[in-house]
Amino acid sequence: MPTLDDERFEAYLKQFRPLVPKPLPAVEPSLRARRAVALGAWAAAAVAILVLGALTLHIRTNRARIAETAENVGNPERLQDSQPLTMRSANALMAKAPSFKAMVDGMLFRSQAVPLPKGKRSAVAVLGKEKIKL
Amino acid sequence: MHRTDRNTAEIESLYRQHGPELLLFAQAVTGERGRAQDAVHQVFLKLIEKGTLRQVVDKKAYLFACVRNAALNEGKQRQRNAPLDPDAAWFIPPDRDYAGEQNLRRALEALPGDQRQVMVLHVWGELTFSQISDLLDLSSNTVASRYRYALAKLRDSMFAKENYCANP
Repeated sequence: MPTLDDERFEAYLKQFRPLVPKPLPAVEPSLRARRAVALGAWAAAAVAILVLGALTLHIRTNRARIAETAENVGNPERLQDSQPLTMRSANALMAKAPSFKAMVDGMLFRSQAVPLPKGKRSAVAVLGKEKIKL
Repeated sequence: MHRTDRNTAEIESLYRQHGPELLLFAQAVTGERGRAQDAVHQVFLKLIEKGTLRQVVDKKAYLFACVRNAALNEGKQRQRNAPLDPDAAWFIPPDRDYAGEQNLRRALEALPGDQRQVMVLHVWGELTFSQISDLLDLSSNTVASRYRYALAKLRDSMFAKENYCANP
């Protein structure tokens, strides 16, 4: 047990108050919060890149389609392909050709890309060689 | 209020409440005000970052233990038992008794480190011997014994310099 003198001495010592420390430095956001913010930023950046990519692709595809259509309208020959003339391709020609004449020309002067079987000749070629009296 | 904000406010309140004693104790361990201040700040910033003190039963004793560990860890990287800084004040003296403050500081400096820690924890930290024994991992009898020796030495030292006996 402390003596009375000890208690008085303790009381005297307690009159000396410890110095107040400096205020705490600015508290940064917790690690968890910082991680969430960083993750959110990365996610937003990824989404933005995806959206930009999709938009660019969409615009380029549209432009190519428009350019192709414009070229095809100006030149009906381009509609002709190596396939035989079908109702579908005739309809397409009719829809896209600038005039009826252009459509007919497009159907008549198609390139013969499909080779004929051996020993067979084109009817047009045969008729072209015969002398027909009209 | 958000839970994290509430915890931060609680920890900041503990800093305001116990900061001076903790700083004094850190000074008693490190011997240097700057290092002591760093140790106290480090402890509280970590507590704010972790966000809770709810599971701690004796918060005050826990804070002293944290500050002691921080100060000792920091001291390991430098030199152990560094001499106390003779110029930096430790206390706000009563009635502007700066000579008395210097006298007390020098008397504390003259104490062995373990007795100085017990002295500061009991007188200014207001921890019981039982709390100090848990904190320093010593028996209560050892703590009480160290305190008695420290008190006697401190009084002798201050009597010799200030003639305290005449007018305590």
